[in-house]
Amino acid sequence: MNASFLLYALLNTVLVVLLSPFYMGLIKIVKARAQGRRGPPLLQPYYNLSKLLKKERIYSKNTSAIMRATPYINIAVMLVASLCIPLALIPTPTDGIGNVILFLYMLALAKFFMALSGLDAGGTFGGMGSSREMSISAIIEPITIIAFAALSFSLHTTDFHQMFLERAGATAFLNPGLLLIAIPLFIVLIVETSRVPVDNPETHLELTMVHEAMVLEYSGRDLALMELSHAIKQTLYMAVLINILLPWGLTSELTVAGILIAAAAFALKAGLLSFVTGLVESSMAKMRFFNLPSLFMIAFFFSILTIWLEVFG
Amino acid sequence: MLSTAFYVGAALLLLGTVLPLVRIGGDGVMRRIALFFSMLALLVFISFSVFILYTNQQVYLAPYGIAPGLVLSFRIDRLAAFFILLISVVALSASIYSVQYIGHWHGEKRKNILTGLMNLFIAAMLFVVSSANMFAFLFFWEIMSMSSFALVLFEYEKPETRKAGLFYFIMTQLSTLFLTAGFLGLNAVTGSFAIQPADIGTGAAGVVFLALFVGFGIKAGVIPFHKWLPYAHTASPSNISALMSGVMIKVAIYGLMRFTLTVLQPETWWGVLILVAGTLSAILGVIYALKEHDIKRLLAYHSIENIGIILIGFGAYIIFTNNNLPDIAMLCLLGSLFHVLNHAVFKSLLFLTAGSVVYRTGERNIEDMGGLVKRMPYTALFFLVGAVSISGLPPFNGFVSELMIFTALLQSYALVDPFMKVLMLSSLAILALTSALASACFVKAFGITFLAAPRSDNAKNAKEVGKYMLLGPMILAFLCMSLGIFSYQIFAGAGYVLPIPDLLLIGSFLAAAYVLAWFVLKNVSSSAERMGETWGCGILTQTGRNEYTASGYSQPIVRIFSSIYRTKEVREATYFDESKSLFVQGSAEIHLVKFFEEALYLPIARLVNSLSEKVSRLQNWNLDTYLAYVFIAAVLIMVYVGWFI
Repeated sequence: MNASFLLYALLNTVLVVLLSPFYMGLIKIVKARAQGRRGPPLLQPYYNLSKLLKKERIYSKNTSAIMRATPYINIAVMLVASLCIPLALIPTPTDGIGNVILFLYMLALAKFFMALSGLDAGGTFGGMGSSREMSISAIIEPITIIAFAALSFSLHTTDFHQMFLERAGATAFLNPGLLLIAIPLFIVLIVETSRVPVDNPETHLELTMVHEAMVLEYSGRDLALMELSHAIKQTLYMAVLINILLPWGLTSELTVAGILIAAAAFALKAGLLSFVTGLVESSMAKMRFFNLPSLFMIAFFFSILTIWLEVFG
Repeated sequence: MLSTAFYVGAALLLLGTVLPLVRIGGDGVMRRIALFFSMLALLVFISFSVFILYTNQQVYLAPYGIAPGLVLSFRIDRLAAFFILLISVVALSASIYSVQYIGHWHGEKRKNILTGLMNLFIAAMLFVVSSANMFAFLFFWEIMSMSSFALVLFEYEKPETRKAGLFYFIMTQLSTLFLTAGFLGLNAVTGSFAIQPADIGTGAAGVVFLALFVGFGIKAGVIPFHKWLPYAHTASPSNISALMSGVMIKVAIYGLMRFTLTVLQPETWWGVLILVAGTLSAILGVIYALKEHDIKRLLAYHSIENIGIILIGFGAYIIFTNNNLPDIAMLCLLGSLFHVLNHAVFKSLLFLTAGSVVYRTGERNIEDMGGLVKRMPYTALFFLVGAVSISGLPPFNGFVSELMIFTALLQSYALVDPFMKVLMLSSLAILALTSALASACFVKAFGITFLAAPRSDNAKNAKEVGKYMLLGPMILAFLCMSLGIFSYQIFAGAGYVLPIPDLLLIGSFLAAAYVLAWFVLKNVSSSAERMGETWGCGILTQTGRNEYTASGYSQPIVRIFSSIYRTKEVREATYFDESKSLFVQGSAEIHLVKFFEEALYLPIARLVNSLSEKVSRLQNWNLDTYLAYVFIAAVLIMVYVGWFI
């Protein structure tokens, strides 16, 4: 914990908060274009957030303090979790903040309270969303862990900062083992950000939805916080995938030029990934809820394959 | 000085046992004095054990012979002190809680017996972990088992309780039987009953280990020996459930650790066995917990799960040690021990607060609760702290111990043997699933019990409990938080600098981010707000009946894991015509098959029954027959002596 770490923390947080809504909008545009529509303006998510900040909040009579605290808990958790995942500048590993498990369980903390808030109002939609979200997250959890275990088997560390450092310094173009991990990491990204084929972020008040049902009772600035947290979560998972697979531009030196280039490189790569995500979403139909485990098994298979390569290769 | 502290504590606890039994019909004064004595005693034990833990010294007490050749001897080292600490902390909160809680039963006599037995139970557990020879260990182990048996039977009028008592009695005696066998085996090789390093051959050590593992495994509730646990913890009064689930099963873990680490030299296959048993208990425990709606039984199944997590850490410790990876092994062992402490704290907290809920609503079924967060806000807050801790979420204590075990398992790339790597990874994946399911289960438990609108009149009319019933859980909730946030500092203070994140830092960041977000939004956004109805597709007023139910909540998971629950569907239908086209009436039932009960316990019970029937034929109440038996026995002995000696 020193001045350079604080500088990293500040830079990383600002970058995450500023960039995150952008990719939400970008994916929407890609999907709209793929479906032959024009889609919303690129900066629409920012307009939405500022609009929500001006609106009043409505609480159900049934709700408790959980409902009011959850948006703040969510955003706080996301901001702190973003310290685990350097977007552009890699700090010298400090105090185990890059710990893989810490990152995962911070996100689980946010999810725990979000699921509780889904039950708080006593409506059927919230309960249903909450139940589904927790079920999905339970069955995706071993897959995420095994994907991260595959990462630590390949890179021999359990710390994201060290993983990225190693990748940034790597001379090899692409490691075949890491290429395989990209598949489970991408599936985890899709699942955790509630996208097709697991969930449908477009639908409201349909029986298909998961995440949107949970936050149905939120309004005003609370909803803005929930949406921003969701966007940050997406950026963080994208950053894991990008910085492992395409580490070019990542820097560990504190120079203005280096940081600017790294940030620009990240913005570009994340844009590319959003494009791919949008295409994948448009080319698939939402799966039936109870068919999801088979999708997860694909992710599981590729993680195990990577580990097999490391163990027996 | 230190031994005096131990004697004082022990004396106070024994006084607390005897006093309420002496004036059994009194007006409750004795009971309060006894509880006060036990609180004092536990405070003494807490300071005693903390001192030993941080100075890392050993305390020997004068041995006490109760009969020629049968000596009770005591020694307290760091491991024992650690367990004394966790027993005392939990028991202290349970005692404070009991001041009010015990009051709600009828009959002074019963209440006094409950108090006295509870103190005896606590004392017995403290003495088990302080024992330095196997005789003392077994002696207090039996007192612990018998006092807890009597406590389980407290509400003996209910048939359900009697069944639980019978189950518990048989299983606990079976546990003692295996332990005795193990101890006698050790004694046969070494010739000593002292609990000290014994250098015995690998074959003998393996047999002794197996006997002890089964013995301790039964008491700890390791699957498949777990069946007594959900019955007994549900049937007993809540303060006793907290003690049994929070500490008594940890005493079994203490025994397992003590005998595998101090007495025997663990081999790798022991580690594998412990790891596999732990993994199985963890995942099945939580899967069974998910379908429970009885709040106490749900918590009891989570005890099985957490014992599993503890065993995973311990098994991995043995494997890593035998593979020359001392640093990772240490992380596992400390993680496992820390989880013992953490589970004791948060599980007792959950049982006590659940007890408060049952005390106020008279219901154990969470489907009949709801809305209690407004009626019992402090109880709800403490339960929430326990729920977050048991789900392993930062920055609370459950997270730290799980993180330690996870990090160690993730580092299994350092192992050489591919089989071990695969084993560790499978365990890791299942542990991750377990922990995610646990948080789903506690969202359900907290959400259905405390949030939304009440689902029954009992829940609607519930009131907050009194101050003693809040103070006990409050201590534990505070511990849940501080053991998590200061974990790094606590380990550093005890001399272990671990590669774990500093949660004090993370916690401060979280708090800062929370305050920052709140402050910024307060200034940049509209603060207008109003109250309305929950949106319900046009239904104007929501009632408890519109809410999601606990069964509905866990239905997706139950369906995904349906092969584990082993449901049996029975359909009956009668038809008007032969081609079965006109339906007259019918029924469909879904039964949960109690797999372990029907496939393992009942066959054994039937076997014992049929054997004892055959044996009982030998007894025909006829003197001539018995004389004949004596004669045959005498002849056999003479033949044996003549031929073999």
